[in-house]
Amino acid sequence: MAPDQTTAAPVPLLSVRDLHVRFPTERGTVNAVNGVSFDLYEGKTLAIVGESGSGKSVTAKTLMNLLPRSALVSGEVTYAGQDVRALAATGTKHFFGVQMTMVFQDPMTSLNPVKRVGEQIAETLRYHLGRSRGEALEEAENLLEAVGMPEPARRVSQYPHELSGGLRQRVVIAMALACQPRLLIADEPTTAVDVTVQKHLLDLLDELRRDRGMAMILITHDLGVAHGRADDVAVMYAGRIVETADARTLFVDMRHPYTEALLRSIPRIDDPVHHRLDPIPGRPPELISPPDACAFAPRCLYAQADCLDGVPELSGLVGLHRFACLHPTGTERGEAAATANRAAGVTVAGLPVTGDPGGAG
Amino acid sequence: MNPDGRPSRRGRASRQRLLRRFRVFRLVRSSKGPEPGGPGEDEAVRRRLGVGFWLAVIWLVVMAFIALFAPMLPFADPTKVGYSGPREPPSAGAWFGTDALGRDVFSRTMYGARISLAVGGFAIVFGMVVGGALGILAGYFRGRLDQAVGFAFFVLLSFPALVLAILITATLERSLLVVSLTIGILAVAPVGLLARASTLVYAEREFVAAARVLGARNGRIIVRELLPNVVIPMGALTLLGMAVAVVAEGSLAFLGLSVAGDEAISWGKMIVDGAGLRDLQNATHVAMFPVAVMFVTVLALNFAGDRIRQYFDVKELAF
Amino acid sequence: MARFLIRRLVLLVAVLFAVTFLGFSAMNFLGDPLFNVVGLMAELDCEAIEAGSAEDPSLDRARSDCETVAEARATYHLDRPVPVRYLLWVGDMVTGDFGTSFQNDQPVAEIIREKLPETLILLVMAQIVSLGVAIPWGVVAAYRANRAFDRGSTVASFGLLSVPNFALGVVLLYLLSLRWQIFPSAYESDSVVGLVFSMVLPALTLGLPLAASYQRLLRTDLITTLQEDFVHMARAKGLPPMRIMFRHALRPSLFSVVTVFGVSTGAMIGGSLVVEQIFGIPGIGREIVTAVVRDDFPVVLAIVMLVACTFVIINFMVDLFYSWLDPRVRAR
Repeated sequence: MAPDQTTAAPVPLLSVRDLHVRFPTERGTVNAVNGVSFDLYEGKTLAIVGESGSGKSVTAKTLMNLLPRSALVSGEVTYAGQDVRALAATGTKHFFGVQMTMVFQDPMTSLNPVKRVGEQIAETLRYHLGRSRGEALEEAENLLEAVGMPEPARRVSQYPHELSGGLRQRVVIAMALACQPRLLIADEPTTAVDVTVQKHLLDLLDELRRDRGMAMILITHDLGVAHGRADDVAVMYAGRIVETADARTLFVDMRHPYTEALLRSIPRIDDPVHHRLDPIPGRPPELISPPDACAFAPRCLYAQADCLDGVPELSGLVGLHRFACLHPTGTERGEAAATANRAAGVTVAGLPVTGDPGGAG
Repeated sequence: MNPDGRPSRRGRASRQRLLRRFRVFRLVRSSKGPEPGGPGEDEAVRRRLGVGFWLAVIWLVVMAFIALFAPMLPFADPTKVGYSGPREPPSAGAWFGTDALGRDVFSRTMYGARISLAVGGFAIVFGMVVGGALGILAGYFRGRLDQAVGFAFFVLLSFPALVLAILITATLERSLLVVSLTIGILAVAPVGLLARASTLVYAEREFVAAARVLGARNGRIIVRELLPNVVIPMGALTLLGMAVAVVAEGSLAFLGLSVAGDEAISWGKMIVDGAGLRDLQNATHVAMFPVAVMFVTVLALNFAGDRIRQYFDVKELAF
Repeated sequence: MARFLIRRLVLLVAVLFAVTFLGFSAMNFLGDPLFNVVGLMAELDCEAIEAGSAEDPSLDRARSDCETVAEARATYHLDRPVPVRYLLWVGDMVTGDFGTSFQNDQPVAEIIREKLPETLILLVMAQIVSLGVAIPWGVVAAYRANRAFDRGSTVASFGLLSVPNFALGVVLLYLLSLRWQIFPSAYESDSVVGLVFSMVLPALTLGLPLAASYQRLLRTDLITTLQEDFVHMARAKGLPPMRIMFRHALRPSLFSVVTVFGVSTGAMIGGSLVVEQIFGIPGIGREIVTAVVRDDFPVVLAIVMLVACTFVIINFMVDLFYSWLDPRVRAR
């Protein structure tokens, strides 16, 4: 949600400015995140959406200081006015896990297989809040009940392998929420669980978030997951945010062709039967020595010559609808580009264009 | 199975061809090949084996050469007592000095390679032949045979190696053959378990199933399909096994339980000869030179062996 | 869990039988059993000696030898068929009757009772050394994987693994005892402190190569574990690095070490034969070597059986330990 620019702007809970993450590898430097900036306000949800390799998970791990030592990070991450990377570097106690914490993709692997579920939840309570073992275990049971775990009293003394995937992810959520964090980063929290449980878990997370006034960063490859749950959405591609806006604007009035393509590639409930989904043509971009051009251009139906000349800047002010595209969809420039490409039958980057590109506008 | 693949109406020649075609699959191993677009395979091989590997190989080749041709090389007589004074420090005449009986330590160390390498080499070959055969048969036929062989291996491994060796050498004459056989028996169970494990893996693969569908007999499948695949991991661990065998022989010799007789010079025996407190204090060279040569040899075996193991992508094995 | 235990127990008993049978066979089929028990006396022609003149004093010794032979026949049931002999022999072993030393007529059980404590102290100290060195070493190496310390320690552990332990013993004896005179060169039993202190070098000799192999295994497993999601989760929970290392990562990374712990106990028992020889420790390792050299079969066989059975039982306990390490094993 865009903050009201006319009154004194409130201080964001989390503010990220010009974040860069690079990994030196044998084949060259991987530019995983290239200048990401965003703000997140108390109690709000930001969805970061993108394909695998878009840098969304790396961004999340950077925020949590979970990157391997070899990663080169630059940029600024502030949490309630504190420099997060400095906090991490000095080993400040009781910040991660208490102020901000994270839920991982795969509940099968994010629980320690050799420790009882209750102990794993109680552990944070004991370490951060100084609870006794008994108190902490009791609280763990309450937390399990709060995340809708059936028979919480019995589950406390079970091992992770005795639980199903959906139940395990509830344990992970309970674990993350134990110390009442103000910010939760959920990295594809439902990708690895059964489809039937996915919606249930997402709704649970949303409900818990609202009850506790917690802010959340929801990382997903599925725009559908973000729909209805996020206040703001940031679409990432090749380590950059290519479009960001409040959720309503983004879903109704998207500007970046990639956002449009993402939306078109997911099935919708109101699609006619046998409706053909449009997969995004081509492959995800190269992150090692990327060309100085719009990274999406080779897969973009709107690509023009100027797209290959320099990386487009993200337009506008932080907090408003911003996009990094020279020929945005839904504008005259975009229409003109699409028409020209259709006429030529091929884009400037060599992508064949056949038939109707999707009737933008 | 695809019904077209059935050979019922085809001639013998075409069946052979098909068999051969399936065999191509087994060349695709789990070991990572060179990266596509990366350096050529030759270069990748050399890069992965490294300089250290070749240094180790050179040392081993030199030692093997000395062991084979020691009597023909210009070494002093290793058994001649009073070659010069007792416990002489190293000099131009006796490079490693002389021992308590005035024997030439350098010459003895070189001769010592003979028994160590002979026993080590024989033991690992014996282990591979016997253990490998048992392991493949057990892994291929499964069932009772597998249980029996598995139990036998388990029992063999239930003895601490050196204790089993002592049990055998204690009851028999300590000849070169007996000592080699003893240590060879120690190698049977570990090698056999490895062979059995790889056989289990490969017996499930498509090319074996294909060969069976095409009517190949068990014997043929074992020899033509399984053996070449099982020999690779076994061969990759040869040098590592040999290192273990050389150390085992050294330990027996150190205890005075290896090959008997003054003629039988062994590093372990030389080390124990020089390990008395007085010798160690005043004539350190008597023990330390054989220690050094033995250490470098075992290190070379381990190092080269480990590189080969990595190269063939075989898992580490605890002997 | 109960079924798991029962299956393991059945296997344990079967292996113990096989091990004892193998030992028994070695004694009975590799060479003449009577010779193995009484040595050269077996070749006496006792009937002729009995028939000889009772007054002839030159036959007195021969006559007493013949009595020994007859006694041995009875003790080792050599007049019975082999399977019966085996069972009787196992029965004797189980009831603690290990026979009598051929050398000095001392009951073997007594010899073992006398010598076993020394060897046990040595083995326990060696395992303490190896685990005490390997766990911090492996943890630090994995925590700073591929940094200078880790690379150096990879080389060091590879080198340590390539030193035969008799060679290591001689080198340590020379350096730490003779050259720098930190530790005594020989066994002392005057006081407990002196005893433990004199066992340090032997324990290092046995423990250091083992520490190197534990370190390698632990480092590899820890590096894998540290990349697991649950370790990331623990970090996201804000736990400090060392707490994560010891409370979360270490236990699931101990599998290889525990596996090798069982196997290595065997290597260590073997090594103790050598080490007791070098440092003059009057333990069962030294006893068995002496006994082999003197063809003192009752002692050899009893010690081999004791060692093999201990080894089997240790590996059985290691199996049980797995289920503590990983609760998933219990489900299987």
